[in-house]
Amino acid sequence: MTFMLKRPGQVLWFAILGTIVLAAAATGGYALLAGHEHVYNVTRGVPWGILISNYVFMAVTCSGLCMISSLGHVFKFHNFEMISRRAILMAILCLLGGFFSIGMDLEHPLNMIYTLLTPNFSSAIWWMGTIYGCYLLVLLTEFYFLMTNNHKMSVITGTIGFLLAIAAPSVLGSVFGLTLARSFWHGAFLPVYIIITALVSGTSLITLVLYFHHTVLGIDFTKHEKGLIRLLGKILAMMLFILLFSVFWSGIVGLYGHEPGRYQPVMSLLTGSLSVDFWLFEILIGLALPLYLLMRHNRTPFGTMIASLLALVGMFVMRFDMTVGGQLYPMRAQAAELSNGLFTYIPSAGEITIVVGSIAFSVMVYTLAEKYLNLDVKVEGH
Amino acid sequence: MKEKRFAIVFDARKCIDCKACTVACKAENNVPIGPESYRNWVAEDPVRGTYPNLGQSFAPSQCNQCGNAPCKKVCPTSATYTARGGIVMVDAKKCIGCKYCMLACPYDARYFNDETKAIDKCTFCIQRLAVGRLPACVETCPTKVRVFGDLNDPKSEVSLLLAKHPHKVLKPELGTDPFLFYINQGGRK
Repeated sequence: MTFMLKRPGQVLWFAILGTIVLAAAATGGYALLAGHEHVYNVTRGVPWGILISNYVFMAVTCSGLCMISSLGHVFKFHNFEMISRRAILMAILCLLGGFFSIGMDLEHPLNMIYTLLTPNFSSAIWWMGTIYGCYLLVLLTEFYFLMTNNHKMSVITGTIGFLLAIAAPSVLGSVFGLTLARSFWHGAFLPVYIIITALVSGTSLITLVLYFHHTVLGIDFTKHEKGLIRLLGKILAMMLFILLFSVFWSGIVGLYGHEPGRYQPVMSLLTGSLSVDFWLFEILIGLALPLYLLMRHNRTPFGTMIASLLALVGMFVMRFDMTVGGQLYPMRAQAAELSNGLFTYIPSAGEITIVVGSIAFSVMVYTLAEKYLNLDVKVEGH
Repeated sequence: MKEKRFAIVFDARKCIDCKACTVACKAENNVPIGPESYRNWVAEDPVRGTYPNLGQSFAPSQCNQCGNAPCKKVCPTSATYTARGGIVMVDAKKCIGCKYCMLACPYDARYFNDETKAIDKCTFCIQRLAVGRLPACVETCPTKVRVFGDLNDPKSEVSLLLAKHPHKVLKPELGTDPFLFYINQGGRK
């Protein structure tokens, strides 16, 4: 990986990412000191904004990476073993980026100690925080065993990691699904659907990592690597199809009975304040175009990479719309300014800086790891 | 002696939308200034009818001090708890400010207090109850929209009002077991 040192633009790359991370940390620090109300655009009506949706996106992507990685060193699909180190490392960094994002949303992050001193076992957030906390420890252990070629222990930690990779996003979905007051979220749909989105995000990101690792370093894809990218594309296409149906039925259910609190956010997605997000980013960029690219028989690794990139952008916006959409419908008649009877929310520059910073953090640490660690895995027989 | 269970019975037909309840609450409980900082409110229902035959109702409300409080269930640090008398309270020093309780509350009764840096809500003026006084909103209301009392005392004014008049609670279908009661419009003579 010392090869990267000689590449022009590398200093610029780290300078840009480092500046973004510092800007995000400074913004978060200022928000904590001055008060969130001076930096964030969240309100009494919409208390969860893009920092939460970005956390959901990054945490769910982490789980998806872990699930895909498990196909190799847990389920013995040897094709996938070559990505195990990179996938688990990226999963760890995504989760840390997500924790930064949600940490900046908390008004009193230090009071988290009370999740241990006076835990509330009926709280979905308590379970989510606890499971993702344990999950991070398992991922770190798994990564250590992968790096030290301790096959036996990496399988054990990988198996635990796989189980947590399913449980964690599911519990995260339940944070929304158990909110009885919010019809748009409430129900068993989200805890299941979010696992599908985890697979979409995870598959997309590992494809991007694999592709850019080779192209940035000027390495040609081997036959096996081309085969793996093709396989990742197939998995992505299958998940996108399932997701398409999930989105379709979620919309139909919302429209069918005009249920208050569910119908209005769905209409907001279809024709209202979230319609550009929905039609352009979720449907066209996130689902239709990737599916079109992945259905092509002669698709190249480049085509799969573009499909993955588009799907990942779509997933980010889908998480935003899911988070914000559920809060648009007011809980009661009120004097607050509403638009067509609904709350509105547009992220502030400060919130966007923190989101970009959390993603930049993951990317920066990952590229540093590529420089200083050997993330290549030699697969037997290849 | 049976433990107290506090409740408020509203006769919203008497409400003149003067908002004295909101002002009294803000003054009593150091609720910060600002359009989103309030523990109680008066919502204005749409105007009914056509000119000159018009009518309008007002809907004063606050925390429902639910027996099955969703805000308490979702709090990860147990910062929200139920005090004696069924009053749902927030322990500010335990609050992490995740705002999940604000989303879980179907009555929008919670807000983030910029001064205490914690979630805040109606406490039925628990500090006044301790010295035998009524909640500020109850005491200040010029038309006596709110009647406060102990539902476990069959001779309390709230118990007698509920026995006498048909009444309802808000969003009963959510199973929150609310302790704000609204005498039905037209149900009182």
